[in-house]
Amino acid sequence: MALQSQNRLLTCIQCGKCTGSCPEAGRTPFNIRMLVRRRQFEYAIEESLPWYCTSCGACTLRCPRDVKPSEVIIDVRSALVEEGQIPVSIQKALENTAVQKNPWGRSRAKRGAWLDLTDLAIPHVSETASRRLLFTCCIQAYDPRCMVIPANVARILHRGGIEFGILGEEEVCCGNEVRRIGESGLFEELQEENRAAFEEYGVKEIITLSPHCMNALKKEYGDLGIGVRHYTEVVADLIGAGRLTLGGDYEKAVIYHDPCFLGKQNNVFEAPRTILGAVKGLRLLEFSRSREVSLCCEGGGGRMFYETEGSSQRNSELRVLEAIEKGAEVIATACPFCVMTLEDPATERGQVVKELSEILIEVL
Amino acid sequence: MNLLVFTKRVPATQEEELRIVDEGRAVDLSKMPFKLNDWDNYAVEEAVRIAEKTGGAVTAISLGDSEADEVLRRAIAMGAKDGFLIEADRVLHDPSARAELIRTFLTREAVAYDAIFTGVQSEDDQFAAVGGILAAKLGLPYASMVIAIDSLEGGQVTCRRELEGGGQERIRVALPCVLSLQSGINEPRYVSIMGVRKASKVERRRFRAADYGDLGEGMIEVSEWAYPPKKGGATMLSGELEASCKELLAILKEKGVYQ
Repeated sequence: MALQSQNRLLTCIQCGKCTGSCPEAGRTPFNIRMLVRRRQFEYAIEESLPWYCTSCGACTLRCPRDVKPSEVIIDVRSALVEEGQIPVSIQKALENTAVQKNPWGRSRAKRGAWLDLTDLAIPHVSETASRRLLFTCCIQAYDPRCMVIPANVARILHRGGIEFGILGEEEVCCGNEVRRIGESGLFEELQEENRAAFEEYGVKEIITLSPHCMNALKKEYGDLGIGVRHYTEVVADLIGAGRLTLGGDYEKAVIYHDPCFLGKQNNVFEAPRTILGAVKGLRLLEFSRSREVSLCCEGGGGRMFYETEGSSQRNSELRVLEAIEKGAEVIATACPFCVMTLEDPATERGQVVKELSEILIEVL
Repeated sequence: MNLLVFTKRVPATQEEELRIVDEGRAVDLSKMPFKLNDWDNYAVEEAVRIAEKTGGAVTAISLGDSEADEVLRRAIAMGAKDGFLIEADRVLHDPSARAELIRTFLTREAVAYDAIFTGVQSEDDQFAAVGGILAAKLGLPYASMVIAIDSLEGGQVTCRRELEGGGQERIRVALPCVLSLQSGINEPRYVSIMGVRKASKVERRRFRAADYGDLGEGMIEVSEWAYPPKKGGATMLSGELEASCKELLAILKEKGVYQ
């Protein structure tokens, strides 16, 4: 183990704030405090345990000692990855990413297929004056439920007078989930390929559609010398500057769910609320656990690709039940993973989940 | 226990729209991603597991272009001791020609082995024949569709073959032999990128295919590539839930899916 992480590990005082914050604690066998303890003594850790972590980051944010338990999980997973002993569905996601540059193994050549959903002519980033890149993200490039999001955001940015371009099939997975799964070699390769493209085309600014991509590009790609923002930050600025007016009405009670990678990990709480607040007729509600303590939807950290054992109620279900209880007609969020994990229990209960751009596009 | 495993680098076509070019003479593979043939992945895993248990060694062999070295590195990352690349500058489809070339190679290079594993078939040509033809040429016993290897010792291998309807037959085959392994025989380990990088340090010996056979010689020749005929789309059932369910059940019964 690297000396730095070894030292951090040894500073743990077993206060338990990590487990107290963990979205998996109590309902599943996963106990991060105990896992860190076992690592301190170099005891074996049961193989299925590390895969419960959703990478929400709450433990690392609240730890009083800079142990960074999220990184401890990544270290444990890395060892399993190098041994090759990882769950089959996660293997598949990694292998797909290695071959087709996206975890679903969909054709790399079709990464720009979402362009068919819009009549806007979107140039390659090299053909723009601003060299402003819209980083698409794998799930939004390929999943039919999410492909509407880049199409929406493209139109919204266009309306706000923001010039941008895309990389199309030259874009590869940002690697955020790959790094969290512990495949550091693959993460490095993805990073290298994206960085090379950014350099080749002189990219000056990046707008991401997914908070996961923003997190990786902003914090884990080293010093890119490129400003990285989530699209909600850009759109909130446009609204604030009067460059984007929302004419339509949206007479609904909308409850906002803070995504972990946008909210607690990157401190973007206000921008989505500014956007929702600017929509006429929209009544904004808040969950009892919002902003920094937002309840993780359990889509991150590889959980998008892996089904854990156990029959306890999922957090996404709890969120939907609370939304109904508070009288919300729509659950709004700004992350495609949250959209996907919230939508199944929502649909079962007649609730609607909308990504922010889906609301915006109706009132533009 | 020396095991040889044949590994083929094949295009990953599952999600791709293939284009036939050159007036039906070729498929455009220029933008295709490539990977190890799925069946061969199972074969390497099985060989490595046996070697780990019995203290043997696995050698991966690939007949292909210079890029095929990639699959040898993967096999080494999984636990193979070394790899041989029989480099051919043109594609050899005919399984008989491939088997003949391999036979000549194994004999002339005096490669030692107790058993040869292939996958049941390759994802591109899908002849499922190289193993069998090679066994015949080498005068070795051959079993295909091996779904489990129960023991490999005392000069013989006891294994099970997959039959139709989910049945299996247990057989004993004398060593040395050739076996083609069926997918699902095991759960292959994950191979990390760092693992493959480390494997790059292990020597993979290169040989020229032209030294072991005439690459133009073959009994089967590809005459034409054509797209399969487009079939009709899906049937959409509509109406009341109860009625749709009855309709669905009737269709499933008619198709013999539900008895």
